[in-house]
Order: sequence, then C-alpha cells, then structure tokens
Amino acid sequence: MAGLLLSSTEKMYILHGVQDDYRSDGRSNIDYRPMELETDVVSHASGSARLRLANTDILVGVKTEIDEPKPNNPGLGKIEFFVDCSANATPEFEGRGGEQLANMISNLMQRAYHSSQAFDLKQLCILEGKQCWKLYVDILILECGGNLCDAVSLAVKAALFNTRIPFVKAALMDGGSVDFQLSDDPYDCKLLEVGNAPLLVTLCKIGNKCVVDPSAEEESCSVISLIVGITGNPKYYSKESKASLNFECKCSTIGMNGPGSVAPETFKAAITQGIIAAKCLDEALGRTLLRERQECGSYKKNSYGFLK
Amino acid sequence: MWTTKTFLTKTKRGNVLKIVREHYLRDDLLCGSAACNFCPHKDDELVLEANPESLCGLFDSNHYLILDTNVVLHQIDVIEEDALKNVIILQTVLEEVKHQNTAIFQRLLEVIGNKKRKFFSFVNEHHKDTYVERNPGEKQNDRNDRAIRKAASWYASHLSIKNIDGQFPQIVLLTDDEKNRQLAHDEGILTCTVSDYIKNVNGYPGLSDKLSKNVIPESCSKDALYPAHLTPTQIHAGIRNGKLHQGTFHASRDNYLEGNATISGCEKSILLQGHIGINRAIDGDIVAIEILPQEEWSKPSDIVLEDKTEDPGDFLEEESQLLTISKADDDITPTGKVVGIIRRKWRQYCGILLPSKFPGATRHLFTPAEKRIPRVRIETRQSDILASQRILVALDSWPRNSRYPLGHFVRSLGPIGDKDAENEVILLEHDVPHARFSEAVLACLPPDNWTIPEEELARRVDLRATCVCSVDPPGCTDIDDALHARRAAAGYEVGVHIADVTHFVRPHSALDREAAARATTVYLVDKRIDMVPELLSSNLCSLRGGEERLAFSCIWILDENAHVLSTKFHKSVIKSRAAMTYEEAQMAIDETSRNDEIATSLRLLNKLAKKLKQRRLDNGALLLASPEIRFQVDSETHEPLDVQAKRIVDTNSMVEEFMLLANVSVAERIAADYPQSALLRRHPAPPPAHFNAFLKAASRQGFELDVSTNKSFSKSLNEAVIPERPFFNTLLRIMATRCMQQAVYFSSGSKTQEEFYHYGLACPIYTHFTSPIRRYADVVVHRLLAGSVGADATHAALLDTRAAQALCDNLNYRHRHAQLAARASVALNTHILFKNREEVESAVVLAVKRNALQVLIPKYGLEGPLYLPSDKFTYNEEENVQICNDIVFKTFDELTVRLTLDSSNLQHRKLVFQLVTPFIPGVSYVQQTKDDQMEVENVEIKTDEKKRKDLPETKNKKKKKSKT
Repeated sequence: MAGLLLSSTEKMYILHGVQDDYRSDGRSNIDYRPMELETDVVSHASGSARLRLANTDILVGVKTEIDEPKPNNPGLGKIEFFVDCSANATPEFEGRGGEQLANMISNLMQRAYHSSQAFDLKQLCILEGKQCWKLYVDILILECGGNLCDAVSLAVKAALFNTRIPFVKAALMDGGSVDFQLSDDPYDCKLLEVGNAPLLVTLCKIGNKCVVDPSAEEESCSVISLIVGITGNPKYYSKESKASLNFECKCSTIGMNGPGSVAPETFKAAITQGIIAAKCLDEALGRTLLRERQECGSYKKNSYGFLK
Repeated sequence: MWTTKTFLTKTKRGNVLKIVREHYLRDDLLCGSAACNFCPHKDDELVLEANPESLCGLFDSNHYLILDTNVVLHQIDVIEEDALKNVIILQTVLEEVKHQNTAIFQRLLEVIGNKKRKFFSFVNEHHKDTYVERNPGEKQNDRNDRAIRKAASWYASHLSIKNIDGQFPQIVLLTDDEKNRQLAHDEGILTCTVSDYIKNVNGYPGLSDKLSKNVIPESCSKDALYPAHLTPTQIHAGIRNGKLHQGTFHASRDNYLEGNATISGCEKSILLQGHIGINRAIDGDIVAIEILPQEEWSKPSDIVLEDKTEDPGDFLEEESQLLTISKADDDITPTGKVVGIIRRKWRQYCGILLPSKFPGATRHLFTPAEKRIPRVRIETRQSDILASQRILVALDSWPRNSRYPLGHFVRSLGPIGDKDAENEVILLEHDVPHARFSEAVLACLPPDNWTIPEEELARRVDLRATCVCSVDPPGCTDIDDALHARRAAAGYEVGVHIADVTHFVRPHSALDREAAARATTVYLVDKRIDMVPELLSSNLCSLRGGEERLAFSCIWILDENAHVLSTKFHKSVIKSRAAMTYEEAQMAIDETSRNDEIATSLRLLNKLAKKLKQRRLDNGALLLASPEIRFQVDSETHEPLDVQAKRIVDTNSMVEEFMLLANVSVAERIAADYPQSALLRRHPAPPPAHFNAFLKAASRQGFELDVSTNKSFSKSLNEAVIPERPFFNTLLRIMATRCMQQAVYFSSGSKTQEEFYHYGLACPIYTHFTSPIRRYADVVVHRLLAGSVGADATHAALLDTRAAQALCDNLNYRHRHAQLAARASVALNTHILFKNREEVESAVVLAVKRNALQVLIPKYGLEGPLYLPSDKFTYNEEENVQICNDIVFKTFDELTVRLTLDSSNLQHRKLVFQLVTPFIPGVSYVQQTKDDQMEVENVEIKTDEKKRKDLPETKNKKKKKSKT
C-alpha cells in the first residue's frame, strides 16, 4: 500500500515479531483477522455473498445462463470470473486504474478453478454436447484494505455455496435443437457441490518467514508475496461428514506478486504453511455457511445490515 | 413495507432468467364493510352492507361470500344473476381469472362495477395481514388457496373487532375443491360447495339451472363410453416426436359422426369418423390427432346423417352406416382419431330445448342451431317455459361416461319463431357485434346539425357546381358513392366521389376502434347492423341528393375507348344533384327526349362503362352467378311476403365498372406509396382439385370446360349454352362460383407482388375504396390514400405491416361471418314465407349424394336435400348417379319438386322437398284434389326498404359453400 510511511525501526519490529511467530496485532503467522460474511444478499442473482475482512469489502454475485458446451468438453459446464474494482474502493482504481489488478485476480481465480479436482464442472451439464449452465461470477471490490485475493476466494466460494440452479428437464428435438421445461416453483432448485472449491492464500514473505493475511504495515515490509490456491475439503460443507479422513488438500495454482525472489526451501515451507492456513480457513468457512443455511432453512432469509 | 417476489422464466432464446419484483405491503387497505368499526371508511367506500340478508337455507346468520377462482371461472353465469350480493372478490381470484380467461374477467369486472350488486374487490395480496409467501414445495394453486383462506379468516376476525357477538356478518367461503374445504373447515372458516349453496337459495327460481356442471372429464372411468384423452404432457411429447399432430377440428355439417382436421404442413385434411374417432371434440377445438395406419384409412362417407330426435340415453350406437365403405377406393384419405384436446374453443351456443319425454324430469337435451355442434345435456326445472324459446347455453365439460357434453342454461333469447329472437340467434351464431354503440363511441360523433365548416371548404376542391349524382338500389340510405362525367379538352372527365368517412372517424378514437372491431355493416333481410352510428351512415356521410357533403374524389381523364389518360385523387366538397335508383337512372338514359345535364352525363358514363366492361372480360374476368333473391317485406310486420330473383339493369353494371376502376386506381397508388403496409384485396386462383366434381358433371352434359386460366375458363363458360335450357348456363356459373376460393384482404408487405392477383376480376392489383360507410377496409384505404396525396396526416399504425396483417385477419373473419349471417337470414325468411304455403316448382340437381339429391330451386335460390329411399334407389358411386328402374338422376337434371315447411315439430322447422316429376310410384308426391290446397294470398308488392346494397364486387366473390 502506497502512502504508508514506516520508519526502519517499525519495520524491524514487525520483522522480528514474524520471526518469532508473534505478530504486532497478536496473531500467529497463519492467523486471519476476523471476517464478516453474509450470503444471499443480492436477490436478483442466483447466489451471492458479501465478505468483509478488516477494511476489504467484497461483494460476489453468481448469475446463471444456458450455453452450449465446448466441443472438446461436451459433458462440462462453464464458469467465468469477472472482477470489477470499484473506484469507491480506492482512488487509484479510477478510470482504468483497477484494470490490471482486476485481470490478475480473475486470471488467478480462473486458474484455481480450472482443475476438475477443484471444481467439478460436470454438475453444470444439462444435456451432454448440447446444453450446459454457464456461471458468471461477478466480483465487486467495494473497499480495498489489503489481502484482496484471499477475501475474493472466500467470498466466491460462499457465493457458489449459496447458488441455486433451477431444475430443467431437457430433451432433444428433431434437427438437433433442444427444448427444455422449467418448473414453475422457484424453490425447485439444485445446489452446487462446492466443497472442493479452492481458496487462495496469500503468503507474504517477511524476512525468511511468511505470514498470511498481512496488515497494511506488514505488506510494506515485504518485497514478495506468494499466492497459492488450495482445494477445499467437502466434509466441511455437508452435514453428513462421510468424506474420507485422509483427505489431502491439493494445490491448484501458485502465483507470485512483487519484485523479490524466493529460495526453494522457503518456497516449500511457504506452500506447506499455505495448506495449513487454507485448511483452517476452509473449515471455518464451511462450518459458518452450514450454520447459516440451517438457521435460515430454505425460507427466504431476512437480510441484516448490508443493503438494507 | 415491502417484500420481493421471485420467479423463473424461460426466454425465447432458450435462457432461464430469475426475475425479482418488489412487492409492497400496506396497512391502510380498507375492508369495505359497513359492519366494520375499525377501518376509516368514507361513505362512498362502503360496498358491503352491515346486515346482508341471508338467502341461503344452509346459513341462518347473515354473511358475506368469498369465492374461489374456479367458482368464478365455472359459475360466472350464476354470478351474473342478481341473486348473489355482498360478495368479496379477492385480488388473488381476480388475477387468476384474468390470467386464465379474459372474457370471464371482463364479465366479472362488470359485475363488480355494478353498484347494486355490492361486490367488493379486496386487494388481499397487498394487505400486510393477508399476504402469504409461497412455501417451498408448495404449488402455486395451493398457495392461492391458502391466500384465499387467510383472507377469509382475516375478514372474520377483522369484523369481530369492537362488534357484539352475533351482530356482525359471518364469512362463507364457496369452493368446490374438497381439500380446500377440509383445510378451511380445520381453520374454522365456514365453507360450502357452490351447488349446495345455490340449490338452497330461496326466492330465485331458475338460478340453479345456471349452475355449470363441471366434471373433470377424464376422471369418470366408470361406464366410460369414450377413450380417455391423453394428458397435456403426453400430447406435448407425442407432438414433439412426431407421433401426434396438432390440428383444428371441423365437424361435418351433413353428418354428425364425421369431421376433419386441418394440420399445418399437411396438404390433405385428416378424416375423423365415428364417436370414438372424434372422441368428444367439438367444432373449432384444437386437438391432438393420431393418424391411423394406412390400411385403416377410409373415405368421407357421402351420406347425410342427423342425430336421432329421441334422447337415446348414455350409450353409443353402432356406426354401421359409416362402416359400409368399400376399402379399395382411390378417394381414400388419411384417417385419424382424436387422442386429446389441446384447447377447447367453446363459446355459448344458441338453440332450442328438446324436453325429456318424462314429465317433471330435470335433465333435458339441447339442440344447437349450428348443425356442427352436438347436442348438449342441460339440467333445468323450467323446461315447460323454455321449450318454446330460443335459448343460449354454455358448455361446461364432456365426461367420458356421457354421450353428450354437459352444459347449462344461460339466458332466453325469446319465443321460437319470433323475428327478434331469430335475428338475435343469427347474430350471436355468427359472432356479429351488435350491441348498441357505447357512450364513448357516440361522444365521438359531430352534432346532429353539423354543417361543413368554412376552413374545411377552403382546404378542399369545390365540386359543388359539378353535376354529380348517385345511383343505388331502392331504399338505400347509406349512399357512399356518386359519379359525374363530362367532356374535357382531351377526351372525357369522369369522377367517382366517395363519402369521406375518415373525416369523422379519426384514428384511434373510440369510434374508430369500434368500427375496426365490427369491420363491416351486416345486412339481414329486415335489419341492418351498422358499422358506424346511424348519424354518420345515413346522414352526414351519406351522399344524399341536394345536400353538401364531404367526399374523397378520384378523377380520371378517359379517352374515346375508355383508356385512362390521367388520374388524380383529392378531397372535395360535392352537392349531389340526384340520388337515383337503378331503375330511375335506366329510365333517364333510355328516355331520348331527356337532354338535361344528368341524363347526358349518365349516357356518357354508360357508354364508357360498356367499353370498360368489355375490356375487362377480354382480359379474362369471370362472370359468375349466385342464386340471389330479394324479399318483399311487409312494412309493418316485417314479415316476408314474397321473393323474386334480383333484376339486373344496365345501370347496375355501369356503377360497378366505375367502382372497379376506382378501386384499381387507388390500389395501384397505395401499393406504390406503401410497399409494406398497403391494404389490398386478393383472390387466389382456385386449386385445380376444386374443379374435379364440377368438370365431371359438366362433361356428362357434353361440355368440356377449360379451367387452366381464368381467361380460358371464362371463354368456355360463355360457350356452354344449351339453347332450350336458358337456365343451364347460369347454373354452371353458380356451380363454378362454388369452386372459387374466398377473396381476402391482406397487407402488401405480407405477400409477393405475384400473389396480389385478383383471379375473379382478372386484375393484377385490387383493393376496396368505394364503400367506407359499410366496410372498415375502405376506411383504412382512405387514410392511406389521404396520406399519399397529402390530404391528411399519416400515423404510425398505418405503416406497421404486422398491425396491418392483424387488421386484415379480423376484416376477413368478420366479412365471412357477415356473409354467412346474411345467408342465414335469407334462410330464416324463406322458412317464414313458407309457413302457410306449399309450392310446386321446377328444380335442378346440384349434387348426387348416397341417400339424397342436393337440389336447387332457381326461383327462390333455395337449396336442400331431397331424400331418396334406399330400397328403391341404387347409388352408383363410379358414375355418381342414383338409379331407380329406368330413371337415372344425375347432376344438372331438372325435376319438379313440392316444397313445404315441416312444422310438425315446432322445434325443428325445415323445408321439405318432395319429388313430383319424374313420377316414381311410392316416392313421388301425389297431387291432392284442388279443394285441399290453400288459397295463395294476393301479395301486395312493396319495396323492401332495408335490402342490402348491390355490392359492385360481390357477384364475383360469392364463395362456394363450405362443404365438409
């Protein structure tokens, strides 16, 4: 974050704290700051979530559309990410200022969700080779307070968890055209399986160690940060926890940000640290979402706070 | 306070959209009851009485009624009766009704609008206490039922606020849904079925007759006579995979056990035979059809079959008559059976009651006036009164175990045989809008004493000094055309002046909308149903003699041989010198001593018209004929006194020629200026197959007609003359007319240039311009032309091809029905004429059927079946003749028949044709002694005042009667 001026003593203080796994605000290196999450905030979208992490504020809406699958993947649906950096977030985003950042995040998300082990696109198929669902994930950055990637990935996963796709029955007609029937009941929807969906964890290298969820001060001490995408564990996202215990999280993408360099050992250590952090984060997110769903039932929820 | 409503829709492009609407909830909606102590009503907002009188024996205490949606949809006839008062119509119900049936919705709105009825519409969907959210897994209908129950219990508790127990009205929910009733009962709401309620209403006899007998048709599998219909999903799937076809069912007029269905994309219509094959389809319904395998195909039977007069009860008789069909025939057509109904096209039907033989019975049969509609079973206790009346009946359902559809009595139209009642039947059966003009329409009219304003005079070409005159049938009051002719510098100047109706009928006014809906003036024998109010049709627009009128003029310069040298159109003011009848005009021409301006211009017109006509005939225009008769009507009783064939004089064709010329000139102009939206009229060439039977019959008389083009057809018709049978040629032309297709209006944007051709008139382009008083098409053409010559502003709707085509569809529909209504009126008057008469007349055979001859009486233009007993006659299918010993009947044969009206059955008056000559013992009618014969009254000759005008074009347009 530009404009933040730290003296070398302050920097040293932060660096030493990180070395001892005890950060200036009392967290350990893999601890996140408290977050605020709300789902189903945009009634027009099929699924939505809003996440606030420190000063970072993200709104995600998922829209569905019917599309034709790609010829080389006839049984798969599609998912696309769009990031919009609102000029409200910071003055730098004004005009085309946020474009580069937006592209970076959406590419990262696209890559992280690309693997079939991260997100199963088969569930978006309606009629093989003819029709599938296409999900448009619109990410709106309302306020920018650091650690964007992590916040975005969390909000996206929550929004996908909240997404309801209408049940359609499709049939092939003569001449290859497809006709489908739609239930008139708006509650007649299916939910997506998003347990495997990846979370992005930004590891900020300070000294030899890395921290997650850096504060603005910590960021200014670092020259490079690693972003790893770690797949989630479905057992946290469903009530019947039948998922195997020896479930292993996989790393679906890695990105780097900043001018510095990383030694191989640090790199390995950082990924391991990222996996641990992602696991905790994933569990917390899954539990929270499940609790929210249970509390609201499938009734129309009463929205709190946001946009109210 | 607000909430949101969410639903999913499918777009045309095959996408699914989630739509979210905001829905506002209010707490300031009033309950509308005078018994309420809570809502801050103003006096005029109280609709429901404080102490409504209880009519129903089932409920002692006074109460308000709440109806559910199906009650409104099915029992609207009961609701329209004055008996039910103090009814709450919930918005949920109102919206569902609107969604399902707009006609019933309109009727309901009318009832609600009637202050005396005390119907209150309560906006329960926006009241914070009565709004209900749809639950997951709940059907829309269940939610609506729940909303209705919620509103009912809210009303009950709302009225009890600050009221002493027993002194406020209860709420009674009427619903026929058993589950809903049970749920309502559990929630403590008083409920009852409609039929229980209505049957216990005191003081309104006949109310229960109007109850709709709505049975879910497929549910009665016990004693089922008919196979069950497929469900909509099965039909949908069947049509999609090509096993089933969708078509419109047309019942046969002659045989109640036969019909056919037209399927899009299929050239031949599909034949449907027998009770099972038709499977409860009623004329006009959209049905799903399964085509039978080819070896089961059959051919249309050519017998005339009517349903028995007795009530046979609920069983289906053997259909042996139909099944005696030789299978190896080339006339075999694709045959199918109805397997499901996609949409019912039921309306209300006029007809008469066929009372049950058992006295005091309540179940009766109803015979519709339209032969293509089956009889209807209705329940009524007033059969004694209704038996002698024309009544209107609505269809409710057709369960599988009932031979006939179930219906209920709607209203009585009047005694059978009463002219007004019979005319009403004709108008209703042909869907002719004949209500009086509404206030909104009348408000568009100019004042009675309207005169042409100065600024209008300045804008128009002043032709008041020109010698213009009109020639029309006697008694015509809506004169819409006038003519003039005079010598000009180069050749002759001829003008056609058409009443300027568009000056008074402005686009998009209430008057315009009404005229567009009516589309045409309908002429019955003794009645005219105007398209525009009388002030315009018979006064301000009518080009009466000696009065200044606004006109739209078309002026040509013609050369010696009537070739058009130049044409111009402009609005004008004219003052007709004389409004003449055809006869008067003819006399003026013939009387050589007359040399005034009128006579000379008439002679000039006549001379030019003859040249025009000759040229037209040379081009291949057909001269067709149809048996047209005119009645002489008693001016006081309006009873027909006598009939005669129409007389045609030269002046008829003189007017006709110039009208044709005007129409063609205007058509060319507007088609050039509005390539996408000009309203034109086309007459397609008849497909050669239509001529088959006709050509066969003609060749048996020794004439080979060439029908390849209209020119050759016209030529060979001219040559087909038998000198000793002068009527033969006319007869040929009558039958040729029936091979023609109907001429139709269309928008120039919807067809290619080649399709504009008018076959009957043999001209490449044609429209209607000359009768704007009685045809809406002409009004539109006037507007187009006015825009084109800069006399009036155009408006957007004029240029819209789609709107123009929709308008044309309505015009065509109304015109066809107006023609049919006119024909039905002639038939009705013929019946009245023959009430106390019998005649022996010569007749000709038009067609030979399996068990009858279709004969035509040229004198009266009457047509009907002459039944032949099958034990004496044998039918030769190959030759299409009926043979009895050495006598052979074939098409075009001349016979003598006796005509009587069979009044033995008052319900079923019909003309009976009996053979007189050639004499066949046991078949022919034997003349009785002279004494028995009735004296034929001397009839006064009176001019019929309200006879339809001779349309210039009609003769070429008369359609072949729609046969099966």
